[in-house]
Amino acid sequence: MIIRGGIVYDPSNGIFGEEMDLFIDRGKMVEEARGEEIDASGLLVMPGGVDAHAHIAGKKVNTGRIMRPDDSRLGTEPRNGVCRPSTGYTVPNCYAMGYRYARMGYTTAFEAATPILEARHTHEELQEIPIIDKGALTLFGNNWQVMECVRDKDLSKLAAYVAWGLRSARGYGVKIVNPGGGESWGFGTNVKSVNDPVPNFDVTPAEIIRGLAQANELLHLPHSIHLHFNNLGKPGNYTTAIETLDLLKDIKPSRMRQVVHVAHMQFSAYGGTGWRDFESKAPVIADYFNSHNHATMDMGQLLFGSATTMTADAPLEYGNARLTHNKWSNHDIELEESSGVVPMIYSRKMLVNAVQWAVGLELALLVDDPWKVLMTTDHPNGSPFVNYPEVVTLLMSKPKRDAEMASMHEQLQKRTGLGEIQRELDWADIAIMTRAAPARILGLPDKGHLGPGADADITIYNLKPEELDTSQDHSLVKKAISTAMYTIKGGVVVSKDGKILCTPPGRAFWVDAAVPQADTDRLMPDLQEKFAKYYSIQLSNYAVQDAYLPHANVIRAGLSIEPLQEVA
Amino acid sequence: MRSIVIAPRNVFCISVEAENISPDRFAPLKIEEIKKLIVWQGNRQKILSDLFTVDGEDSPSKAEDMAIRLSGDFSNVKRIGEGMTSGAIEVQGSAGMHAGNHMSGGILSIAGNADDWLAREMLGGRVVVMGDAGNYVGAGYRGEKCGMRGGEIEVRGNAGAYLGEHLCGGSIRVGGNAGDFPGAANQGGTIFIGGSTYLPGAEMSKGTINVRGETKVLPSFQKMEIAQIDGTDYQKYLGDLLENGKGELFVGVAVP
Repeated sequence: MIIRGGIVYDPSNGIFGEEMDLFIDRGKMVEEARGEEIDASGLLVMPGGVDAHAHIAGKKVNTGRIMRPDDSRLGTEPRNGVCRPSTGYTVPNCYAMGYRYARMGYTTAFEAATPILEARHTHEELQEIPIIDKGALTLFGNNWQVMECVRDKDLSKLAAYVAWGLRSARGYGVKIVNPGGGESWGFGTNVKSVNDPVPNFDVTPAEIIRGLAQANELLHLPHSIHLHFNNLGKPGNYTTAIETLDLLKDIKPSRMRQVVHVAHMQFSAYGGTGWRDFESKAPVIADYFNSHNHATMDMGQLLFGSATTMTADAPLEYGNARLTHNKWSNHDIELEESSGVVPMIYSRKMLVNAVQWAVGLELALLVDDPWKVLMTTDHPNGSPFVNYPEVVTLLMSKPKRDAEMASMHEQLQKRTGLGEIQRELDWADIAIMTRAAPARILGLPDKGHLGPGADADITIYNLKPEELDTSQDHSLVKKAISTAMYTIKGGVVVSKDGKILCTPPGRAFWVDAAVPQADTDRLMPDLQEKFAKYYSIQLSNYAVQDAYLPHANVIRAGLSIEPLQEVA
Repeated sequence: MRSIVIAPRNVFCISVEAENISPDRFAPLKIEEIKKLIVWQGNRQKILSDLFTVDGEDSPSKAEDMAIRLSGDFSNVKRIGEGMTSGAIEVQGSAGMHAGNHMSGGILSIAGNADDWLAREMLGGRVVVMGDAGNYVGAGYRGEKCGMRGGEIEVRGNAGAYLGEHLCGGSIRVGGNAGDFPGAANQGGTIFIGGSTYLPGAEMSKGTINVRGETKVLPSFQKMEIAQIDGTDYQKYLGDLLENGKGELFVGVAVP
């Protein structure tokens, strides 16, 4: 296949808006090829979108669906010859996720939080999401075995457990959510700072984070630790964010990437002592990111309207439920996590919501290097992923931001500095924040770029970047990027002008990290004891079988080249 | 006034979804175009004239000048008058589920009975049922926090369970009895029940429920003074205290 004459943005290969032809052969980008030609003269061409943080599969997503039959009435589409039926807006069914990502030009998305115990469910759903490639990050931050290894300062055993856990969950990377807080929630409390000890474990969140970061680097995992801070969502929590990032300054990355990726930074950049004097501290956070190179973040942009908050941060969801008097699901995941789900409506007339909206945008605009900030909405916590075009146009257009702010609370100008920010992102920035950077941050060498050997995942948008003024014509931009003209996944046109043409199954990435057998041997008696005493299931039934990943793509990592021994 | 008469061609064993039977949809169309409007029977898509005869004045009109008469048995035809904003629908027999849902204006009158979910999530307008109504009259559909927000519903006969669940506004008047749990989670609407019922106002936070006949009151309601309304004595209660509620419940004092 040949794509002729597009204006290509491929930041990883230093291509910023050059007119060029692209060649595809057997699902990969190549130097020269023949076959079908697509005329993209003058149109915007980018690699397929990569979403590094979204909640798209697993038990909490399904809990959201069960709790919200009202949501599933929105966005229904009947089946047709190609597509199965779609339902839902904030918590769509599996099929709709695949179709909607593909229509928007996205070809890869990662589920951001899965406990090992519930990984089988996650993979069952991921398998049902058509078209896109995917993976799932595995939760380790409140795991008993992790906390015991950290307490005993046994790094090699911790690394062995992380490798074993990733293998059992068929997981892609280490996700940490409110470390220690989820375990404390089992006793009705929360940790209040990174130095607050976790009940019964004699460890602090700081030690858990550092321990897992060291294990992550020891194992040479493709992705860094992926961290949801303590005190997330609370006024004044920016100090916790800075304190936590400082903990990780001295850790050496084992690959060419960050040491920590901060999830949905927007929810952790708040000042004030309570909701009354709630304000943005995005400039402080942005300064930190501008002066340090060990951390990256995704925005977690909040947009007004319906959302469904879902997180492994169960005490946070308890707070949400109290605040909104809305439906609340609270869930305990045995020795691993706790979690919660609460539906939410964000209103532009509410000052707190308006400040949150502004914080996300401020972060993205004040951090100078777009490689450090990913565009996300923490789907469906801040807003459903179908609203990414709204976020992109807000970042690209100062007039649009001004118009939006004019319709909000008059106090907003005093609580944030968004109104004074003149910066407008260009297509190069957007291509980095939605394609190149997420692929690099996740450690996916074949994604997010169009160089030879890359996966032939390409988006062609029906807009001419050389003619369109993105600042003034933001509504045209939003329309064009909401529905890609062509979405090409693995060399196949999957969506054309919003119509899904075919639904190939996507691949699932997981990381198999090798560790010395001796470390695993030291680990197993601990696990055998836990399963015998505490778990509701047997150790032999715990790991996800390969049958649940029919299109697996295994990435090798680890201490040595020897593969990990099969667990008896 | 432009009048259109619709009658079923036969008895429907499989229910029909006919949200297109509405003054708003008919108003700009000629008879031939109305006949081509889509309806579903089970999982089959059909057009209106496959299942119904359509007669009446041909020339398009405004929605407020539309009068649609449904002649015959419509008890297996769902979603009649969905989202209507003005005009009138007169059902001469009974109507199926979800009649008048989301309507914001106009009049829907049903000479027979109405099935479940009558006028659910209604915003305005008026619904009159001469016979009985099913469960969930004026309620919010599954998962919804707000049911009816405005308008009036009058049921001359009896109503089923969960009358006005999640009511956020408007008023419902039932001449006869109501089933269990009327006005559950009421957040600001008004309900009058002429006959008896069971456990009204559970989890209500605002609004008023008036029960003329007998009822059992939940223990989470606070007994207040005797109040007189329209010359009748009522025992007043406040609740539901479980929700810190400020709702008012009036129960008729039986004359010995």
